[in-house]
Amino acid sequence: MQDTVLIVGSGPSGLSAAAQVAGAGYKVVMVEKEETLGGAPILSGYAKLVPSGEWAKDAIGRMVKRVEDDKAVTIHKGTRVTQLEGEPGNFTAKLSNNKQIKAGAVVLATGFTHFDSVNKPEWGFGTYPDVLTSTQMEQMVASGKIACPSDGRVPERVAILLCVGSRDRQIGREWCSKICCTVSANLAIEIKEMSPETDVFIYYMDIRTFGLYEDRFYWKSQEEFKTKFVKARIAEVTASGDGRLLVKGEDTLVKRPIVIPFDMVVHAIGMDPNQDNPEISKVFGVELEKHGFLQKGEQYTNTCGTSRPGVYSCGAAYGPETIDDSIAQGAAAGGRAVMDLAALVRKAG
Amino acid sequence: MAIHEKSLIEPERLLHHDELVVDGVDVSGHWNTMITPRTLTDYDDDFEAKIQAIPGGENVHRCWQCGSCTNSCTMYAQNVQFNPRYWIYAVRLGLKEEIIKDKDIVWQCVSCNKCTNICPKDVKPEGVMKALAHWMEEEGITDKTPSTIFDEEFTEQIYHRGRIEDSHVLMGFYQKTGQSMFQNWLRVFGLRLARHLPVHLGLKFGRNLLMKPRTKSWGRTGEVLQQYVREQKEAAHG
Repeated sequence: MQDTVLIVGSGPSGLSAAAQVAGAGYKVVMVEKEETLGGAPILSGYAKLVPSGEWAKDAIGRMVKRVEDDKAVTIHKGTRVTQLEGEPGNFTAKLSNNKQIKAGAVVLATGFTHFDSVNKPEWGFGTYPDVLTSTQMEQMVASGKIACPSDGRVPERVAILLCVGSRDRQIGREWCSKICCTVSANLAIEIKEMSPETDVFIYYMDIRTFGLYEDRFYWKSQEEFKTKFVKARIAEVTASGDGRLLVKGEDTLVKRPIVIPFDMVVHAIGMDPNQDNPEISKVFGVELEKHGFLQKGEQYTNTCGTSRPGVYSCGAAYGPETIDDSIAQGAAAGGRAVMDLAALVRKAG
Repeated sequence: MAIHEKSLIEPERLLHHDELVVDGVDVSGHWNTMITPRTLTDYDDDFEAKIQAIPGGENVHRCWQCGSCTNSCTMYAQNVQFNPRYWIYAVRLGLKEEIIKDKDIVWQCVSCNKCTNICPKDVKPEGVMKALAHWMEEEGITDKTPSTIFDEEFTEQIYHRGRIEDSHVLMGFYQKTGQSMFQNWLRVFGLRLARHLPVHLGLKFGRNLLMKPRTKSWGRTGEVLQQYVREQKEAAHG
């Protein structure tokens, strides 16, 4: 059992962890609650990924194939872990398919849940067909045609609202989801590329295209693709009566109320803690931090740790994370699990 | 009720009615102050491109509203209404009316170019100020500047005759700008010239003044030139 790592979740971080563990000569048991591997990028049908620009199904597809083709990896799809007992080097997990797994270490790559825009009813999602979430917009880009869902017309104007489900004490979400600014700038570029007659406006409080995303996405969308950035937190999205939408708010730079007609409104939805986290916390005996994400272990010498020894984590399970960093953290968590198992074997002599 | 945020109301939005009845209710007197709404209800999507087509305005779309230009501005130090950052934002969104409101100060930019040197996005705000001043002049929002009037007088004569006659350009310029023909410097110039008794020059001057001669075989060149300039302008400004 000390040669096996149980990995829960098969998104970018879980797939990366699995490849790391298998590559080191250890066995992997991968448990995925959905019937498809790949996590959010595949399940939600993302278009081109940030920052590589590769289609999600190609990039994440390669990760899936690498793990599926590996003889050292056993995969349980449509399955959940229902119980975890034991200690580092000697865990026993019960699965919902009644199988029992012996493993020396556990990696929780359980990711996040997209914010549900219905929780911000004032922004019109669920009321007006032309109000979409960024994941729906990703799907529209992937489908190859930009059109208003209500009647199929090409939109003259699209508004992207940032911080939907992020940085909002009213709905108990006091975190920045980190990647929505960059993803929205990228979406604006994709919309303009596919539909040059469409003008894209991004309504923001701050722009947080950190690190190298600054010029590659923010500046590029503004300078090459004429995306307009308007500093306003929108108060309300309503119908105009002529089939368009009205975006209401205060433009804080001109200090005046705005009521501007748009054809489509896109919510740049944030990353919530995985909605199963309360259950995950109970089953695996790990603590959650105050927002509901997994509590990190001490970072400096217990990297990728959780509150329970022998149980590791990575990626968006800890908090909003990019795909690239989730992959790096997955590799780190896989390495950490393998390292600790090797240490146990050495100690036993 | 008293208006608490009076500083937010531009004078032109205050409507006064000595006598007014709304829905049968008399709102004259103390209640007669009406305010037009200050809500922005649309953007002019083509305006940014219009300003970008004028030399100096090319980079206006790069602005991210950091305010470095306004902070460094020589004119802003004199008058806080002179706010390049704000006008650049208005250009980007097509809030034309906001710019027109400031038509009497936009042209006051002294081209010190401190903004151009400090701008982190290379917007060249000084160029935008020039482009805006040109746009307003072209649209007739502001009066033509004397230099524009001079240029027009000069060009008109070229179109018609293929050459200019100094005295005609001067006369036309002074007439159109409402200035006196009897400028002191002209008087001094004439007196000093007369001392040399320039008989030949005087004859030539007198002939040109009366005959308005054209360049040899000028023909339809002026019309063709005029049409070319018109086409170039249309191509640049749409």
